[in-house]
Amino acid sequence: MSVILDVLGWVLLCAGGFFCLIGAIGLNRMPDVFTRMHATSVSDTLGVGFLVVGMAVQTTDWTVWVRLAIIVIVLYITGAVASHALARAALHDGEKPLLANAEGALVKTGCEELYPELGVRIATPLTSEQVRQSVPSDEETAPSNS
Amino acid sequence: MFTVAIIAVLASMSLAVARALLGPTAFDRLLAANSIGTLAIMLLALFGFLTERPEFLDLGITYALLNMTGTLAVLKFFRYGALGYDHADGDTEGKG
Repeated sequence: MSVILDVLGWVLLCAGGFFCLIGAIGLNRMPDVFTRMHATSVSDTLGVGFLVVGMAVQTTDWTVWVRLAIIVIVLYITGAVASHALARAALHDGEKPLLANAEGALVKTGCEELYPELGVRIATPLTSEQVRQSVPSDEETAPSNS
Repeated sequence: MFTVAIIAVLASMSLAVARALLGPTAFDRLLAANSIGTLAIMLLALFGFLTERPEFLDLGITYALLNMTGTLAVLKFFRYGALGYDHADGDTEGKG
């Protein structure tokens, strides 16, 4: 039994380290900030997940399992929130993603060229007043449709 | 086996430090700092298992919460130009 757990631990920890390295290499080789976020999400999800499961099979103490579960839940939730905030702050700051144009060449394309309404939304984000006003109108229209 | 994982995590951290130093925009540096924080949590947990002292996991939990707060605070500063929220008028146009 302990041999199986040791082999499982080796495999999982090596996989976790491999995915952490993949994410870090991608962080250095990707061309712009949005593709770099794609690379770090690999090490933030697969790398952390494999490492934590690899550590969990190496112990029989249930308090350690609880702590590892807390770490992985906090990292998964906060990683998604931080990535979303980072992308939104970058777009709001005028950072333009590299996209392929009609000829296939990579050019920095502003969102307002692709989706005019979306570009305006990014340039002038909704204030909490507008959000509060728009919520009741959605609720009024929803029952009439159904 | 924990040593192998620690070496991989340390190598990843050094690559992330390289991106934090080279990063052309502030967002690249922030992304690298966030990645370094996540890898530091994993390093703490793995070091705890290597020395058979699982109390290091508690430090990891604290680090995870601090890391998230720090990243969100800096991003809010970039977007709105201030950390507080002005309730008087909803006008919080970013300066940066």
